[in-house]
Amino acid sequence: MDVALSRTGAWVLRIFFALVVLFLYAPIVILVIFSFNDSAFPSFPLSGFTWRWYHQFLVNGELRAALETSAIVAAFSSVGAVLLGILASIALVRRRFHGKSPVSALLLSPLVIPYVVFGISLLLFFHAVGIPRTVLTVVIGHVVITLPYTILVLMPRLQQIDVSLEEAAYDLGASRLRTFRSITLPLLLPAVVSAFLIAFTTSFDEYAVASFVVGSRLTFPIYLYSALRFPNQLPQVIAVAVVVITISLVVVVGAELGRRLAERRLGAEG
Amino acid sequence: MAITEAREPPAQRRRRRLRLDLSTPTLLGLPLAWLAAFFLVPIGIVAAYSFNLYSLDPGTHHFTLAGWHDFLHGSVYLSLFWKSVKMSLIVSATIVVLAYPLAYFLALSGTRRKYVLLLLLIAPFLTSYLLRVLAWKVILGNNGVINSFLFWTGLRSPDHPLSQLLYSKFAVMLVLGYIWLPFVALPIFVSLESLDRRLLEAATDLGASRLQAFVKITLPLSLPGVFAAFLFVFIPTLGEFVTPSLVGGTGGYMYGNQIVDLFVAGFPDWQTGSVLALFLLGVVAVLTVVFSRFLGARTAVR
Repeated sequence: MDVALSRTGAWVLRIFFALVVLFLYAPIVILVIFSFNDSAFPSFPLSGFTWRWYHQFLVNGELRAALETSAIVAAFSSVGAVLLGILASIALVRRRFHGKSPVSALLLSPLVIPYVVFGISLLLFFHAVGIPRTVLTVVIGHVVITLPYTILVLMPRLQQIDVSLEEAAYDLGASRLRTFRSITLPLLLPAVVSAFLIAFTTSFDEYAVASFVVGSRLTFPIYLYSALRFPNQLPQVIAVAVVVITISLVVVVGAELGRRLAERRLGAEG
Repeated sequence: MAITEAREPPAQRRRRRLRLDLSTPTLLGLPLAWLAAFFLVPIGIVAAYSFNLYSLDPGTHHFTLAGWHDFLHGSVYLSLFWKSVKMSLIVSATIVVLAYPLAYFLALSGTRRKYVLLLLLIAPFLTSYLLRVLAWKVILGNNGVINSFLFWTGLRSPDHPLSQLLYSKFAVMLVLGYIWLPFVALPIFVSLESLDRRLLEAATDLGASRLQAFVKITLPLSLPGVFAAFLFVFIPTLGEFVTPSLVGGTGGYMYGNQIVDLFVAGFPDWQTGSVLALFLLGVVAVLTVVFSRFLGARTAVR
């Protein structure tokens, strides 16, 4: 007898799970269907197949510019957050110092701050200091909110890496930096890649904070939000949505598979 | 502190010797400086605005509690806050209850594909937030998928669409629930997965039914995960302003929308806006601290 679930119980839960998955994916499937629907309004009955909306967004310069801006913002902020995250994680995992718990609480606190509060704080700050709102101000905000994610991904991996490997290198005369470069970093790399991907996708998709500090160059979510107010742009936006959701699903699944592959390899070596 | 030192293996003690280059201050300097400059100082400026030490109006400013006094004694903002609390509570409680059986199924049914199924469940959460809201806008609108389907099949006349679907409190709560449901299963799954199955076996050996074993063992041991899940949803939905502004209309207007409007609307009132923002931050901070104490206390007992 199974101690956790009866046979009927397992079946009920299986069906419930399937229904929830259906509920989660149905809206996405509906977007896919209507992205090919030959009508300016997403409504029934369906009126034939078209590539028109995909073609329209491909030639939409504003949209392409917004995607480009978001890619730049996401690239800079994720690299920044990962670099800061590596420094902070090494300190938190490998060093002992007074006040470690308040320091780690501070480093993780952007996780829980309501984005509306943080966005407004940054807005008032840049206003007070006299920094004009540009792509840079968005990057600054995104580094703050993605930093805790990178730390949360990097720290467990760092804890797994055997400290004696680093000590061996050090005993053999390698400098601290050299030890990090040739021992720690290669072992940490899978986590660095996941941290980078998480930070990148979070930044690429971030609307709330960006909406307060964005300048005249719109990021993709900001552009999307403004496009949502014009019904004639809706089918195009749906087509973009399908492309973006597909790409992010592929990246997510790919990253997960890659991480597990790397972990299996490391497990085999250890 | 002393206890942890005594317990440390020699390898960790030896590590202190390595503290030559890449010192702790060097490592922590940049991250802490970044957060100080772009996180703590900005919040301090909001506080300064809320006490009128800074102001949009030119001239001299004096410290005053007037903004706070008006906020705490007026009914408009506080009642809006309670409305948002209620909405977030309903959303968080509902999806935690829905997610629990999902996590239970994944963690304890012994299915071999549990990580694949977990990824299937969580993947929608990792796709674009705005686009998932957009999907519901398309579905719920007066000429949207649901209504046009009803017209098409003749179940409802086009003159009388189900107009409460979009731009309502219902729409906001539905969309927020949809967005956060996959995420909420994760902490519950983690706490259930670390559960020692032998405890359940012992309970059944001693004659407990499955239900008894669940109520006395599984549920209490998974409570930290449940509370974590609840808080992870409650906190962001409480300050939510994007979803209500897209699908909420006037009925679904939330506290977060009020904050935004006080800063960017036609007649900005940064002092009141700052009071509202800080109040929300305070509530969230208290919730977080209470919860981590609760978690700490539980781990200490074990």
